[in-house]
Amino acid sequence: MRRPHEITVSIGGGRALDRAGLAALLASLPGFHVIPQDNDPPPQVLVWATYTDSMELPLLKSGTKLLLLTETTTEDSLPDAVHGLFSREETTSALAIAIRQIARGEQYLSPTLATAILEKRQSKSRRASPEMSLVDELTEREREIVDLLAQGLSNKLIASKLYLSVRTVEGHLANIYLRLGVHSRTEAMLMAMKVR
Amino acid sequence: MNNPKTRLALLGTMSDLHKQPICYDLACLQNIVAELAPDLLCAEVTREAWEQGDISQSSVEIRESLAPVIAVTDTVLIPVAPTPQQFSDFAPRDGWRYRLVKMFDRFFRWGQIQANNPEAVNGPWFGAFCHTVCMATELLWSAEQRAAWENQNKQLAENIVHTIQRDTGRRVLVAVQCQRLHHLIPLLRAHSDLFDIMGYQYL
Repeated sequence: MRRPHEITVSIGGGRALDRAGLAALLASLPGFHVIPQDNDPPPQVLVWATYTDSMELPLLKSGTKLLLLTETTTEDSLPDAVHGLFSREETTSALAIAIRQIARGEQYLSPTLATAILEKRQSKSRRASPEMSLVDELTEREREIVDLLAQGLSNKLIASKLYLSVRTVEGHLANIYLRLGVHSRTEAMLMAMKVR
Repeated sequence: MNNPKTRLALLGTMSDLHKQPICYDLACLQNIVAELAPDLLCAEVTREAWEQGDISQSSVEIRESLAPVIAVTDTVLIPVAPTPQQFSDFAPRDGWRYRLVKMFDRFFRWGQIQANNPEAVNGPWFGAFCHTVCMATELLWSAEQRAAWENQNKQLAENIVHTIQRDTGRRVLVAVQCQRLHHLIPLLRAHSDLFDIMGYQYL
């Protein structure tokens, strides 16, 4: 029986044993309700396990956010329709935080994957950029948040470091995106990593 | 931006009473936090210990219940304890005062058997009982011990108020050992312009 505050999650992709393991893990954590992928209504978050030899993505139903569980990425940005890239190297509690973050409409990018994306981008373009001056225009608190964003921290970890609520951090992030002229967490994170 | 007024709830926990022979299932505390999903959880751990990731000196409910649930939810733990000392650390170590405190401990144990769930621990009956036994116990402490306990509660209240001032308009749950409640409630009510205090069920 699903409680009203719980986030509905489905597991897909990968191998049957991975899916069973992930489903059991999420069912043991507070605040998640694991449902079948073809459930009506659809899940709020679909966790999709991928491997380097198979990057096939599922068709998403309206309202479902996609979190890719992966080892590496060959992309130079977060792929379209993907709301989060989660590295298999991260911890169980980080997976719970990532699912909550994308369920609220935010993006999630594991630090190692963000670094891989940034390296990919830098090899494509070496020209000077105006990021530094844009970051200088941020308030002290916003700069603190940008610095933690550049370390690849989730909103929860940023909030914990600054002793603020996750909602407050997300409010600051919305202002930061506006001031930096970026449209997503990935762009802001990559810009922040460049100016570090 | 005008944030709504902060909502604050106090949740009394058994804390060092868990050292008594009767142990409660800490899962109920975990369920309360997971279901209330407060934005911030002020807990009795020092900032230094929390930042070092060393909660070994914290109470059993922080180690085994609150810290694990905080790790997998969006609630942020705010360490508000000025020192690691708890109620029982202020008790006299020997003499007739020590023996009398031990007798009051047996009262506590009896109360703990009666109030066997969070609703009861935070209800008016156990509240009045805990208040009376704690007041009587505190009278057996030395003047220095009483002053140190009062000062610790004042600093704890100030840390809670600073947390709210730093991040207004949020839902804040304060989980502290029940022996502190009769000190903390009046100290926090003095700041009712900053937040509304309510029962944890209504957060």
